[in-house]
Amino acid sequence: MTKQKFRVALAGNPNCGKTTIFNALTGAHQHVGNYSGVTVERKSGICHFDSMEVEIIDLPGIYSLSSSSPEEKVAFNELLTQDIDLILNIIDAGNPQRNLYLTTQLVELGIPMLLVFNMADDAHRRGLKFNLPILERYFGAPIVRTVGAHGRGLEHMKSEMARLLRAEYPQYPARLRYGEVLDGLIAQVEEMIAKLDLSALSGAPVRYFAIKLLEGDAYISSLPVFAPVIEPVAALRAKLAIRLGVDAETILPDARYGMISGACREAIRITNERRQQLSDNIDRVMTNRYLGLPIFLLIMFAIFALTFFCAEPFVGMLESLFGWLAETISAFWPEGRLEFLRALITDGIIGGVGGVLGFLPNILFLFLGIAFLEGTGYMARAAYVMDGFMHIFGLHGKSFIPMLLGFGCTVPAVLATRSIESEKDRLTTIMVLPLMSCSARLPIYSLLIPAFFPQKFQALIMWIIYVLGVVLALIGARIMKSTLFKGSDEVYLMELPPYRLPTFRSLLIHMWERSLCYLRKAGTLILLASVILFVINTLPQKTAFSKNYAEELRTLESSSRIPEADRKERILRLESEKKMESLEYSVAGRIGRGLEVVMKPIGFDWRICSALIGAFAAKELFVSQLSILFSMSGAEDDATPLQSVLRENYTPLQAFCMMVYCLVSMPCVGTVAVVKRETNSWKLTLLQLIGLTLTAYLLCLAIFQIGTLLQIGTSLL
Amino acid sequence: MEMEKISSSLEDYLEAIAEIIEENGHAHTKDIADKLHVKMPSVTSALQTLAAKGLIRYQSHSPVVLTAAGSERAAVIRLRHAAFSNFFREVLKLSPEEANDTACKVEHLVCEKVMSRFVSLTDAILQRSDCAELRKYLEQTMPQICPEPTEDLISLDCLEVGQSGIVVRVSNTLRGIKKFADLGLVAGTLIQMEGHAPFGDLLRIRVMGSSLSMRAKDASHIWLRLTE
Repeated sequence: MTKQKFRVALAGNPNCGKTTIFNALTGAHQHVGNYSGVTVERKSGICHFDSMEVEIIDLPGIYSLSSSSPEEKVAFNELLTQDIDLILNIIDAGNPQRNLYLTTQLVELGIPMLLVFNMADDAHRRGLKFNLPILERYFGAPIVRTVGAHGRGLEHMKSEMARLLRAEYPQYPARLRYGEVLDGLIAQVEEMIAKLDLSALSGAPVRYFAIKLLEGDAYISSLPVFAPVIEPVAALRAKLAIRLGVDAETILPDARYGMISGACREAIRITNERRQQLSDNIDRVMTNRYLGLPIFLLIMFAIFALTFFCAEPFVGMLESLFGWLAETISAFWPEGRLEFLRALITDGIIGGVGGVLGFLPNILFLFLGIAFLEGTGYMARAAYVMDGFMHIFGLHGKSFIPMLLGFGCTVPAVLATRSIESEKDRLTTIMVLPLMSCSARLPIYSLLIPAFFPQKFQALIMWIIYVLGVVLALIGARIMKSTLFKGSDEVYLMELPPYRLPTFRSLLIHMWERSLCYLRKAGTLILLASVILFVINTLPQKTAFSKNYAEELRTLESSSRIPEADRKERILRLESEKKMESLEYSVAGRIGRGLEVVMKPIGFDWRICSALIGAFAAKELFVSQLSILFSMSGAEDDATPLQSVLRENYTPLQAFCMMVYCLVSMPCVGTVAVVKRETNSWKLTLLQLIGLTLTAYLLCLAIFQIGTLLQIGTSLL
Repeated sequence: MEMEKISSSLEDYLEAIAEIIEENGHAHTKDIADKLHVKMPSVTSALQTLAAKGLIRYQSHSPVVLTAAGSERAAVIRLRHAAFSNFFREVLKLSPEEANDTACKVEHLVCEKVMSRFVSLTDAILQRSDCAELRKYLEQTMPQICPEPTEDLISLDCLEVGQSGIVVRVSNTLRGIKKFADLGLVAGTLIQMEGHAPFGDLLRIRVMGSSLSMRAKDASHIWLRLTE
């Protein structure tokens, strides 16, 4: 009985169309990216053909097979330890030299290979003619030509795969020659390590380890098995480097590229040197010294509009759906029975689910936009255009996109940081994102600013608040880059792939995959936190009120002496008073009272403190919480009476502190959940929470104390 | 006999004086200045020092004459020069000019003992019959090893938009040199400058049919020879 189960690894450079082939083979729903490092996680799928079961492992796109980046490490590990039966090396036929560089390293693993010259149509258009038999002999592996995007050549590829997998004697790749000197040295190192016991290592050939040791690969060199030979090998390397007049690190890359250009000279002919004119022309405009920036800002605005304006009607629909759901349940709920349970379901759970799903339209549209930017290849250009500016603050060029989205909502903004491949830059960006004043804070500003500031200052105050957030974010990034995420910047070397038009299907697949990911991971946390916040806002329930509201209500309703309108308002006021008493009695209210001691120096009383606890669930709840606390019947949209009450109770200085505090202090539950998910660290999440709150406190302390001292804003302007 | 130490520049003067006397029969201050490409006053002060050490006899307006000690000293230096020059020419296969220039630089550094052993080594390599294989090897490989001189190279960040060049050398001070090498930035690669980012120090180049962006400060470590 021959083997029926096989493992095949897909390896190739970024942007070589590897994922398209993977999708075609497995039918798995996965994104086709045009941007370095879309597939960082391990992806695999099962594929059945020719009565075989083949597990396809999609390795991340890499340029080289060492262990210098996370992607390379993943690929390296996978190939070394997973008993791979066949490597499917996908090569962008339009750029054979660069792509074959990886091939030269894969060949050394001694695993049968199939070379797939993908995007063969593209190569044809560029006038590249291949003499495949020469290349096949050179690498000792058969070559097939495909056009992944149109599905051409895939059947032939599958039949070749089947032939190689079923072969009685596996076809091992050829032994490459690195030139006289280097070959001699490799043999010397091979001899050295042949004496060692390599049984603990995987089945890679001795020669492979010899090459990797000569290359000075960090991971292989750190293996304890090789400890005895490290020194002599290093001496050989150093001598060789002087002999060749190159850096020790680049001895092998030099040799490999030399080898490839030799092979290509024989096997590849360029009939007409016509490059991808279109892509170059587009770039001449897109990354132009003067036009690049305005175009970038325009595209950013389009993404912003897509995420927030296009999603708006859907958000509204979802909100009314959940409102309707809560009302329906309340309507059918038996009067006076298990009131708390009803409230928990309608306000807590449905409210929480609504909170999670309320973001969904924004997130779907955002991911659609980002998938498009990545799919076309513009993302790399965006970084290129913006890097000069962002670099001043220790941020990456790509940090700009999430920061801009942060003005809409922090949750999708944090998710958008995924396109930043440098880990330090990504974390720094996430840490400062809540400082970009999100749209949920807008109701707070539009309540407080008109209430406390004269018309002519209103725009200025609003502007100050927004700018303050941006300035703090940039300063924060700079500080974090020189403390928490210290260390030299990562080397900036990024490919700008040719522009391609992604298929709509691949955009949708990508959008849906990422959105699902958000729902699964962040959604549960947001839901949980919303329920907890609901509980502390309602429990313990107050049973003994200062006056008998039920009684008074009944008298009001039955009394016919008071006019209709007046009566309605008094009823509403009574209800709000009751709510306020309950809230004061609840855990949140008590915490608010407790916090008052701490918050006094920044001018906050217990009511503001309690409202802040509400704001933790969602920033805009600050307003509704305040209106409850001031027994105002007005809903959010009708805040005018609330404004006059506030004016009686607070000074403009306090109002300003409130706004600054809401801007800077702890981000909302959704943000915390999504930050936890994206940083994968409670430590960083809590650090952000505490750091921001502390900053807000100190900032407000300074503003309030100095303001009080100088008598600025202590009375109405 | 232990010779008194003199500086390498004084050794150069002594050597030059001996050579000029051999050529012309007598050495004038002007000739010395011309040969060493230095100013007259420097020659005068050097000659005074040499005279004080008893290596030459020197009076203004008359030719310089070597003392017995001076002649001996000069002969030693010239022998060394010849030995080094010979080694560079015959073993390392450098051109006569290169061999001569390099010999001038290193001849002062070595002590007598090392020198005589070095001369025996050179002789052995060049004459012994059991070194025939080695001589053949040197004949073959040495001429191939030639990193290009840096003088007429241009660093990548100085390339004008649209200009192309072939990488000749990547300075090993480049941070992350392996990453650059992996992406094809190795000696022999053709690079074309495509443009600069709106602000900041990013530039983009075309390498092997794809565009790469990198920082100018990294690019300044990559040296190119311009092509048409």
